[in-house]
Amino acid sequence: MDRDLIVAVSDLTCRYAGAPRDALLGVSLEVRSGEFHALLGPNGSGKTTLLRAALGLVPPFAGRAEILGRAATDWSRRNLARVVGVVPQREENLFPQRVHETVLLGRYPHLSLFGGVRAADRAAVERALVACDAVDLADRWLWTLSGGEYQRVRLARALAQEPKLLVLDEPTASLDLRHEMELFELVRALVDRQGLAALMITHHVNLAARFADRVLILAEGRAVARGAPADVLTRETVERVFSWPVTIQPFDGRPQMIPLRQRKDAL
Amino acid sequence: MRRWVQRTHLAGFVALTLTACARGEHVPFRGGIAVTDDAGRRVTLAAPARRIVSLLPSFTEILFAIGAGDRVVGRTTWCDYPPEALAVPSVGDGMPPSVEAVAARRPDLVLLYRSGPNVTAAEQLERLGIRTVLVDLNRLEELGPAARRIGALTGHSRAADSLAHVMDSLASQPPAPGTQSLVFIVWDNPPIVIGAGSYLDRLAALAGARNVFHDLSSPSAQVSIETIAARDPDFVALLSDSALPPGYASRPEWRVVRAVRARRFLFLSGQLFGRPGPRAAQAIRELRRRLAGTP
Amino acid sequence: MKYVLLGAAAVTTLAAALLLGPANVPLGDLLGSPILWQLRLPRAVLAFLVGGALGVSGVGLQALVRNPLADPFLLGLSGGAGLGAVVAIALHLPGPWALPLAAFVGAVGAMALVYRLGLIGGAELDPRILLLGGVAVGAFAAAITTALVSLAEATELRNAFLWLWGGFSGASWTTVLVILVYAPLPLVVLAAAARPLDLLALGEEPAQYLGADVRRLKQLVYLSASLLTAAAVAVAGVIGFVGLIVPHVCRLLWGRLHHTLFPTAFLTGGILLAAADTLARTVVAPRELPVGIVTALLGVPLFAFLLRRWTVT
Repeated sequence: MDRDLIVAVSDLTCRYAGAPRDALLGVSLEVRSGEFHALLGPNGSGKTTLLRAALGLVPPFAGRAEILGRAATDWSRRNLARVVGVVPQREENLFPQRVHETVLLGRYPHLSLFGGVRAADRAAVERALVACDAVDLADRWLWTLSGGEYQRVRLARALAQEPKLLVLDEPTASLDLRHEMELFELVRALVDRQGLAALMITHHVNLAARFADRVLILAEGRAVARGAPADVLTRETVERVFSWPVTIQPFDGRPQMIPLRQRKDAL
Repeated sequence: MRRWVQRTHLAGFVALTLTACARGEHVPFRGGIAVTDDAGRRVTLAAPARRIVSLLPSFTEILFAIGAGDRVVGRTTWCDYPPEALAVPSVGDGMPPSVEAVAARRPDLVLLYRSGPNVTAAEQLERLGIRTVLVDLNRLEELGPAARRIGALTGHSRAADSLAHVMDSLASQPPAPGTQSLVFIVWDNPPIVIGAGSYLDRLAALAGARNVFHDLSSPSAQVSIETIAARDPDFVALLSDSALPPGYASRPEWRVVRAVRARRFLFLSGQLFGRPGPRAAQAIRELRRRLAGTP
Repeated sequence: MKYVLLGAAAVTTLAAALLLGPANVPLGDLLGSPILWQLRLPRAVLAFLVGGALGVSGVGLQALVRNPLADPFLLGLSGGAGLGAVVAIALHLPGPWALPLAAFVGAVGAMALVYRLGLIGGAELDPRILLLGGVAVGAFAAAITTALVSLAEATELRNAFLWLWGGFSGASWTTVLVILVYAPLPLVVLAAAARPLDLLALGEEPAQYLGADVRRLKQLVYLSASLLTAAAVAVAGVIGFVGLIVPHVCRLLWGRLHHTLFPTAFLTGGILLAAADTLARTVVAPRELPVGIVTALLGVPLFAFLLRRWTVT
């Protein structure tokens, strides 16, 4: 099927000034609409750097990072925000605000400089809240929400941008089982139903294997493996990347890794 | 027998000191001089001071006026009267006094105006073994007592007492009759005026002019242009050695004041009017002449 | 609705400023009196404009450094202004504009220095570096000022500091003109930054993902807010508390979205300062209080009261 190529990263190398090694070395990634990509790897492997480079926040030292065929650094932030909706890992909340206000922030890339909020904008907010099952949260204060509810609201904000690509940076890091599953289901549904592309950084290898179409594993700035979960998540790869013994069991057609305990005599 | 003599001497001395309790009175102390200064310190000298450093222009004027000018070995840069004073070496501007420069003149007495920094400087000089005297001199009334003490310390009591007498009688005069009013403007932004409790206010009263801010008890205060305009003084008095109208006189907001609009300024020389001194009577006469319209 | 309220309050405050004063001008003569046209009216207008400028500047800076305790004078501007004023005195610069101009130049110099510090190490106006840099520059300026103070003449210096401590006694149509020339551009720039500043409250990276050009935004907001403050200092000296309190009051009463916050802060700041100046002129007549004291006396209890309400929400 001919799907739009949203993100095209080819042979990307990135450096931070004064760092001992490259943050990324020769990494490639292609994300098309209707695809759910997971980005895996241990801490410090370059996942967030790849995200930033793909979105034009970090310039490439070598190689290319393109969005919709144009270099990511060439995009104005405003125009890029109409194409890519990001749910970042952290954000600040200095002053109390309500849910509908925060989702409305997602419409800002579409608002003109001194223009007001139009009916179309409110409709987009409404649609985003519906898609994230957060309509009944609309009047709540943000600080009263649970972790899961808060993430759904932030996802709604990204959806209100009416993007082609959703980017999520460890969205389930502090969520419980139910909310974590709900979030993965939600992203999958958005990809399937609305034809969005999704790129998610996550530590949850098993859920990534269950829900994602393609997986990219990074280690120390290099791409270790790329492809369908069944092809990528082998015992050798996982053990090497995460430095821990595992066994791989299939479930529902997808590989699931089970970490092994340290042997007592090995201590 | 001897103890009775001693007791009489002691009694006599105690009686003498008790009767001389009034501040500023000098008491001959076994041939020496003793004076209480305005910091409450008792200053004693074995003999009249021979090398005096004066750290206030008013003191310098008084010293020369009572004939002790030849004893002055140091002055501040501000001490510009009488002209003979300019021949005396300067020890700096005195704000704060340079202890080293003063000590380099090897004085046996230093006269200081009583202010915070000067108290500290006096303590430092005392530590070097130099006698210091701290005197208040802000108002007309304080000229007499200041002159008397300076006279005692220099052994020119007679001249000092007669000068003090003139100053005291001037200070005790009632305000002269007159119909004109004035305001003393010291600064324009923000506007600062002189109130009662200051030397200038007193001079004006004795010259027959009413300070429109006489109701303010402090020597100076910040007011608004509107208040000055409302009180409508006949003259704006300022300390200035030139006859050029001040910069603010041409600004529209100041021209709401009638005296500014009509350019009725009294330019008073800083040397004569700016500080209390022996020429107070001369200053009053000068002011009276200006008010009458003769330049 | 809130603008009707604020507008009414503004008109009332201005009317009070025109009617009240140490000179008892009968109502009938008021319209023809130069006291109204040359003194009270420019003074009231200037106080309003300066209050508005400081309020808006406070909003901008609090959004920029993401710290609700930021005050326009926290970033070294008052230290710079003070140094400029003292230099003008020490060099005996002539003319009535020497002092305000020097204060303006000093404030702008401090602003540039703090900006340069904020760029060190590629930090790109990191809020914490801005705040620390502001404190450092302010302390540096204060040290030089103290050194110069010992060289300048005592009375002139005291009077210069009286000016610096803030007040509208020198208000005239000329000073009103100065503000009217300097203020519009920074005000427009800040108004245009209203939406990006809402985004900046989420953090710099989230704001970029939502379409804000954070680097340019920070530069523009910093420069505009500092210029507004420097212009205010040039005509009225250093008046604290207004830039700190007005944003909070407006946020609590009318919301924190900047397209509302900027206008309400302008009006509230203007009302507060015009009222404070009227009090400063009349309460201890014929003397005047420095207006900064009145704003503190009015503002601090108000602030404490609002703080209690704020921590409850």
